[in-house]
Amino acid sequence: MEQILANGLYLGAQYALIALGLTLIFSLMNVLNFAHGQMYVFSGFVCYTVVVQLGLPFIVGLVVAAVVLAVMGGLIEKFLFRPVIRRSKRDESTMLLAAGIAFFLDALILLLFGEKQRGIPKVVNGVFNWDFRLIMPYDRILICVLAIAIIVSFILFMQYSKAGRAMRALAQDRMAAQLMGVDVDRYSMIGFAMGAMLAGLVGALLVSITGVNLGMGGPTSIKAFLMIMIGGAGVISGAIIGGFILGMMESVGLSVLSSYGDVTYLLIFASLMIFLAIRPQGLMGKPWG
Amino acid sequence: MNTNTETMAAKGSVTARILGMAAFLALVFVAVPMFIAATGRSDFYYTLTSVALLAIGAAGVWLTFYIGRINIGQGAYALMGGYVSAILITQAGVSFWLTLPLAGIFCAVISVLIGLPILRLRGVYFAMVTLVLTEVARLTALALPITNGAKGITSIPLPGELSVLGITLIPDFSTLQNPRQAFYMVAVALMVLVYLVLWRIVNTRLGHLCRSLQQNEELSASIGVNTTWLRILAYAISSFFGGVAGAMFVSISQSIYPSSFVVQDSVNFVLYCFLGGLGYVFGPMLGTLLLYFGWDLLSVFKQYQLLIYSGSMIALMLILPNGILSLLDKKEGGK
Amino acid sequence: MEARAAWLNELGGVQIGDTTYDIQIVAFDDQKDPKRAIAGMERMAQEGVHYVVGPNVDDGAAAVRPVAEQQGIMYFPYSFPKELFSPPASNAILGMVANYQSGPAIYAYLKENKGVQKVAFVAANESDPLSQRDSGVEAAKALGLEVVSDKVTYQVDTTDFSPVLLPVLQSRPDLLVLSGVSPANAPQLIRSARELGYEGLISTETGQDASVLAEGAGELANGFISVGGASTPELASDTMREFVDRYTKMFGEYNDESNTKVYALEYIIETLKANPAALTDVEEYKKTIDTFEAPNPFMVGDAKLRYVGRSSFGQKRQVSVPLVVTEYKDGAFETLFVAEVD
Repeated sequence: MEQILANGLYLGAQYALIALGLTLIFSLMNVLNFAHGQMYVFSGFVCYTVVVQLGLPFIVGLVVAAVVLAVMGGLIEKFLFRPVIRRSKRDESTMLLAAGIAFFLDALILLLFGEKQRGIPKVVNGVFNWDFRLIMPYDRILICVLAIAIIVSFILFMQYSKAGRAMRALAQDRMAAQLMGVDVDRYSMIGFAMGAMLAGLVGALLVSITGVNLGMGGPTSIKAFLMIMIGGAGVISGAIIGGFILGMMESVGLSVLSSYGDVTYLLIFASLMIFLAIRPQGLMGKPWG
Repeated sequence: MNTNTETMAAKGSVTARILGMAAFLALVFVAVPMFIAATGRSDFYYTLTSVALLAIGAAGVWLTFYIGRINIGQGAYALMGGYVSAILITQAGVSFWLTLPLAGIFCAVISVLIGLPILRLRGVYFAMVTLVLTEVARLTALALPITNGAKGITSIPLPGELSVLGITLIPDFSTLQNPRQAFYMVAVALMVLVYLVLWRIVNTRLGHLCRSLQQNEELSASIGVNTTWLRILAYAISSFFGGVAGAMFVSISQSIYPSSFVVQDSVNFVLYCFLGGLGYVFGPMLGTLLLYFGWDLLSVFKQYQLLIYSGSMIALMLILPNGILSLLDKKEGGK
Repeated sequence: MEARAAWLNELGGVQIGDTTYDIQIVAFDDQKDPKRAIAGMERMAQEGVHYVVGPNVDDGAAAVRPVAEQQGIMYFPYSFPKELFSPPASNAILGMVANYQSGPAIYAYLKENKGVQKVAFVAANESDPLSQRDSGVEAAKALGLEVVSDKVTYQVDTTDFSPVLLPVLQSRPDLLVLSGVSPANAPQLIRSARELGYEGLISTETGQDASVLAEGAGELANGFISVGGASTPELASDTMREFVDRYTKMFGEYNDESNTKVYALEYIIETLKANPAALTDVEEYKKTIDTFEAPNPFMVGDAKLRYVGRSSFGQKRQVSVPLVVTEYKDGAFETLFVAEVD
């Protein structure tokens, strides 16, 4: 049991971090970023390149990946999303744009990094073993702690910094924020960059444990969608809760239902649908997103 | 006097429409086979069949757009329809031609059950739930015994003869010299039928009601529109189209696996609609044709194929954020 | 394959009958979509291609079958469903060793040499791995091994395999079989199993990539048993070594998949040499299959290229490539044993 909970906690921490970036972008611009998973994969490869090919320490890889992704996110917002949002008649156009960016990143990853699975050496060796009741390798514990630390600092940033407050105002009511003198364009860009950076941080953190490969982008995006649906789209606390809930459901489901074969995900999906039928806005969301 | 000119104008546009329709029919049923016979490029039959079937699925997605919902789950219904047809043919010995509508009806019924709860969702929420649907369908196909799980259903016979009162309407495909041409004809006929239905829906009271939903659900509910019923109806028709397209694909590949329709296909259906433009009935058809052939044409660039494809998709969004057929808007605006 | 074709052309082409031909490879990317695979096969038929290497997955192989049979195309799918190769089907030739052939060989070897008795299977929740798991379970049971866990599956996009493996390892197997595992998932599964304290053997019936294992699991992957290509140092001839060199120059990194595919090309060319009429008529090709034999340029000794598969499919619809079972050790594969399929 301890093992199942620990696995769930570890999964939840990384999931929450993925969902956080997605929900931030959604709350600021009403854009469902289909390319989120691809950003995550891209950053994993950046970290791999820095650590394995250039032989630099992991922390450098982490920072480089975060910066690269933040810059990428900012540029994508400024040159792609902003003009399309301004000119399109319907919100859905941004979805197509996001899908196009997802394909583009996939193509870019294939050309730059190839199609093989890549991973970097373990950051720390050794396994924490509590009497075989709870086994957790030290690097996983480290990643889990780092992930939680990033989540906490993100919340603090959103709560107390000027930029954070501006972004929250923007998320609440774009028009009102603009009237109050918030530079909407600037903070949209910062927000998108931060969302992308969060994707980058998870990618770089996880490349040390699970590695990355080209095919991971799409499924990662879908999982992130699941989480923000559970928690409520565009709400930061919702993303965190959604991430942890999905992590726990996977961990518990896979253990409890293992003798029934392939049903864990089926059950997760089915219960999600029932849940959304009862509470369409998710756990923490505003009604109708 | 005024009304008179209006009806005259309406008549004029009806004639134009009928002419356009006739030209289109002549193109797909006569010109294309002649072109293929002349050039010997018989592989076009399959590509065009694919386009026609995908356009049928996309038509369904377009209809859900019409009520203001983004439907990224059409692949689920295509898979479902495919399995219904495959199971009925292989296990119950039902004629393929009967399974085609049955597959559609089955999907429509299921979509009502699924739609009742999820159609209450809006915008991104609905989009995300439907995105998950395809994965649910795949996992279900893997888990159920009747779908033969991971091994799929293979060696499905070709469509047999369809006859009414002893008159052969469609001959047995396995006796045909060129079943590809037959598949093409059937698929295109289906496509024409589907788009006629779609066009009809849009231009009746139902279509107006749907448009009112797209613009403001509360308002249309307040003036007495039964929005729930309307949404369910549109979604069921949409899923019917998906099921038919899936069943038809299965008869061509003579096999179906849980991975025959995946999330990627669902996303593609949406892309076809977007690209063609959401304001026009024939948008999805054009979008399907362009994206499918666009991709094929780009294969000469080998490893840069996806890069150029996605790059031009992004560029297109920047230039024409409202779809290709939105070019027509500008013309009208200039008048 | 392109590397071998370029090489043969550089040598002046291939003489079939009285004519010397340059080899031209027509490529089509089906993106693992069965609907695209059909389009690809139609394109091949259009361009007059009679010999196709691929598709690589079950659904694609099943989907192209009607086209191949109507259009007279022999194809070499890298997927294992027996009905593709058994009568009445006759146009597909298995281009490698199937898992229901390699599995029993590996289990028998491990039973005898390592005392394995209890086996557990995990597979990805997708068609090909699940089918391979089922036939693996069957084979293990036939050998009198106890199957302690065969229900656990995982999603291919799993980022943490501990919850997946936990119930499997609680059944205390001596051998953990990763059925149809992709090179991307293998290191993660191995790493998770070892970190959870599993000490038994781990094996798979699919080919793996040593550098991916080294990066993803490091020394935890030591002892991992998989099926190798035919380019192991003990078997490879000079020709094979030169091929690997040329391949590396053209594409950067060499992996085993290209190794199995070069065999398909060699078989096609040699069979055509034996019966030039098969150039345009695959029925002629099928006639030649039963008696065909030629020296194998890629292996040392007097190994032969010939068609096998009678005991699995009831007809000769498989190329004879050596079944090389390897063990991973510090970044490379070492040969454990070599067997042959009949």
